[in-house]
Amino acid sequence: MKIIITMIVSALLASGASAHSKVSTTTPSNHAELADVPAQIGFDFAKNIRLTKVKVTHDNDPAVPVDLVGQTDFERIFTLPLPDMGDGTYHIEWRGLGMDGHAMQGDFTFEVN
Amino acid sequence: MIRLIFWDYVKCLDARLRRFSLGLAGVAVTAAIIGFLLRGAALTGDIAGMVDREMLGLLWGTSVGEAFTYRLAGIIVISIGLYLPVIGAWVSLAGGLIALWSFTQIGHIPDQEQTGIRLLLLLHLLGVSFWVGILAPLRWLARDPEYLAVAANFGDKFGVMASGIVAVLVLAGGLMAWLILGTLSLIFTTAYGLALVGKVTLVALLLGLAAANKLRFIPAMQAGNQKAAAHLARSIELEITVITAVLVATATLTSVLALPM
Repeated sequence: MKIIITMIVSALLASGASAHSKVSTTTPSNHAELADVPAQIGFDFAKNIRLTKVKVTHDNDPAVPVDLVGQTDFERIFTLPLPDMGDGTYHIEWRGLGMDGHAMQGDFTFEVN
Repeated sequence: MIRLIFWDYVKCLDARLRRFSLGLAGVAVTAAIIGFLLRGAALTGDIAGMVDREMLGLLWGTSVGEAFTYRLAGIIVISIGLYLPVIGAWVSLAGGLIALWSFTQIGHIPDQEQTGIRLLLLLHLLGVSFWVGILAPLRWLARDPEYLAVAANFGDKFGVMASGIVAVLVLAGGLMAWLILGTLSLIFTTAYGLALVGKVTLVALLLGLAAANKLRFIPAMQAGNQKAAAHLARSIELEITVITAVLVATATLTSVLALPM
């Protein structure tokens, strides 16, 4: 049973479970090239959502969760602290819940040289 | 619905139908709970989300929680109705309507924010339920030589009604697809459109099987051909497999794939 549930969960998560709302803009923008590591990252969504998970991967390092403590409301604009992991490529993945109950997810990447 | 409309044909199966319906109710409750928990997993990206109280609490406050409540309530009312005398079938029908209404609360239909399209979906689901509901009792009767004539007449009566039901299903489904997509060009250029084409193809296969049942096997059974009954039973088994594939395609369309913009 556990194997079946794991397979279903994996299929659901791997299939890009319902990106029903698009993020309008991110800060930094997708594929941006920066001189310094930004202290914060930002999201501006098309509609209010509740962020449920944000994680950052730096080059080939394992993913680190971004602190969402205090993010307890459905909002359109979010600003979150970014851990300084030095120069390299930062890949941000996010997941959230729309007010209509739809799960959403997305990602963006930027580079610090 | 089957007990109400076809009582004369299925009364000999009453005890078996009740047990079968109760078993399906158990499957439905399990599926509803796992489905709800999986949505929690989608919010965190890992299996731990299935038991994350914060995520499940969040979901509970949205239309997902509302749909979950309707579904469980409907299934409980169906189960109670199975064992109530006299009005039991009506109680089960009411429970079925509540459970089906839960499907109008989530997916892409509520995004349209129109009550009319929700009612259209309910009508579509009622037609599907009626069709699916007939399959098990008809197969049981077809498999029992003692009930050859009953199965033939049951299948014939359903075949007459099915003509109207198929028209409603196709019209309601087509209208919903048009309201959701807005344009035909998205059908062959998006994952959502292609999945919809896959679903329609499977439904066409289903209609082919139904036509074979209605035009070949049922008339042969009415003429006393026992072999035709075996063919009908096998055709129904194939129909159940195709219907399962249609349901998988529908689940993908309504919960995994985003609407094309």
